[in-house]
Amino acid sequence: MAFHIDINQLVSTPAPDLALQHEVEQFYYREALLLDNIQYEDWFGLLDDDIHYFMPIRRNRMQRYGKVRSTDVPEYTSEHEFAHFDEDKATMTGRLRKLLSDYSWSENPASRTRHTVSNVIITPGEENGTLNVCSSFIVYRNRLETQVDLFAGERHDILRRADNTLGFKIAKRTILIDQSTILSNNLSIFF
Amino acid sequence: MKATFLTPVISSTPIVGEDPVIMVRQKDSSIRVFLNQCRHRGMKLSRDDAGNAKAFVCTYHGWAHDISGQLIDVPFEEQGHCNGLDKSEWSPLQARVDTYRGLVFANWDEEAPSLDDYLSDSKPYIDVMFNRSEAGTEAIGGIQKWVIPTNWKFAAEQFCSDMYHAGTMSHLSGIEAGLPTDVNLNNVDIPTNGNQFRAKWGGHGTGYYVDQPGLLAAIMGPKITDYVTASPRAEAASKRLGSDLFGQRMMGQHMTIFPTCSFLPGVNTIRTWHPRGPGEIEVWAFIVVESDAPDHIKEEFRKQNIRTFSAGGVFEQDDGENWIEVQKVFKGNKARKTKLNVQMGLGQSTTEHPDFPGRISGVYSEDAARGLYQHWLRMMTEPSWDTLKPSS
Repeated sequence: MAFHIDINQLVSTPAPDLALQHEVEQFYYREALLLDNIQYEDWFGLLDDDIHYFMPIRRNRMQRYGKVRSTDVPEYTSEHEFAHFDEDKATMTGRLRKLLSDYSWSENPASRTRHTVSNVIITPGEENGTLNVCSSFIVYRNRLETQVDLFAGERHDILRRADNTLGFKIAKRTILIDQSTILSNNLSIFF
Repeated sequence: MKATFLTPVISSTPIVGEDPVIMVRQKDSSIRVFLNQCRHRGMKLSRDDAGNAKAFVCTYHGWAHDISGQLIDVPFEEQGHCNGLDKSEWSPLQARVDTYRGLVFANWDEEAPSLDDYLSDSKPYIDVMFNRSEAGTEAIGGIQKWVIPTNWKFAAEQFCSDMYHAGTMSHLSGIEAGLPTDVNLNNVDIPTNGNQFRAKWGGHGTGYYVDQPGLLAAIMGPKITDYVTASPRAEAASKRLGSDLFGQRMMGQHMTIFPTCSFLPGVNTIRTWHPRGPGEIEVWAFIVVESDAPDHIKEEFRKQNIRTFSAGGVFEQDDGENWIEVQKVFKGNKARKTKLNVQMGLGQSTTEHPDFPGRISGVYSEDAARGLYQHWLRMMTEPSWDTLKPSS
């Protein structure tokens, strides 16, 4: 079964009031600040207990397999196929533990990253106190002496109201990366 | 009429190349592999990663090919070529294809040995992963692809011969990522009991622990460790493979079929290190499971591979880090000319091991690495297969 993201619904839903738009965007800016300043524990604190952090693989498919670009066509691997990430709280906690150890060589020395988030489109969530948020990202990574990686893509989040400094926790993040072959030696950073 | 095809193929050929190919299952279930190149102007015949096709029509001038790779139609043939074109002469180049336990090997060289000869005495060690069940194996959908700026031999050698890096430094944080929260690295015993195998011919190699599940458990967790070492299905695999050593007691195995096909039995990742010039590889990784494994086991293999052996995997992330740094160091004039140490296990191998066939040394050994590099050197320097081929 393919996961489903309804682009038409995102396009046709009216924009929310300015205050909510502002609040969500500020959440993302501050989240990016944590990631870019390797405040791993604080960033992990934004992941809710039922977090699903998912990045499917993207394939080159001729258009005859689906008339429009959509998550319903086999351009993306589905939920029970191989993926770049398909994580729950336990495996994310393991990843945190790796990053906090002294011998996580792929991030020690740490990459220099810049997460830029834009095109934030908010629609009401299915569950009370949640929002569905679509956003675009560009992540620049510079590593060691000369390594440069550039990642772009789309995030589909479920944000849940939370009693924390930033006002939300991330309940689900689906990352649609704009690369078929990952043009980097690894994916040792978060998106 | 339907055919499934993959392009380019997951291939392992004794000639290191970058040629894109189309792999097509034919109506009679046989497999054909041919160059993904139209013989008119060289355009790709397929730009789909996978799917079904009735024909391959070049998008440049429309030369059409059937699923076996034969040129069957040329637009305006009568007018343009005045019937002077012999279509049978202008089909894409066909590769030799052979399979072993579901793995498809393609080769351009008509003179090369058969696959059976090529695999030499390494087959029992391949079977640990690919011949556990009568039902055979299947791949979990999706191939993960990524590029690493390193020479293919670093990756191939590591999977061939390097248990040492896993037991020492490279993967300490990967091991830690999978430990129960109340256990730390000081409580972990890194196994030391096991062996390494170096193929009699061909540069293939493998290594494994025996009766010590520590590393396998750190990678795959308790569920898969139990499944491949202790469950009734593991016992069935022992029966099929004729030995509980091969069915259940070899653990944390790494293996390379020279040059670029590597896999980890028990983890069940398999990958090809496609060279892209001397300084870069494109990794194609996927996950293999027994076709008749329970769904929850297939799902656990899938999740643990994503967690550990993938571009974002807590183990694999750190492998790329080593290989690209070594490759960078080798740009230096002195660094490139400096002798490096590859003496581990030298003179300690035996061909009379009581349990394991072939040339066997200890689990921490570089015998198979020496075999890989020696075979590579022979591939580069022997004038023909007459001197290079395995002795019968």
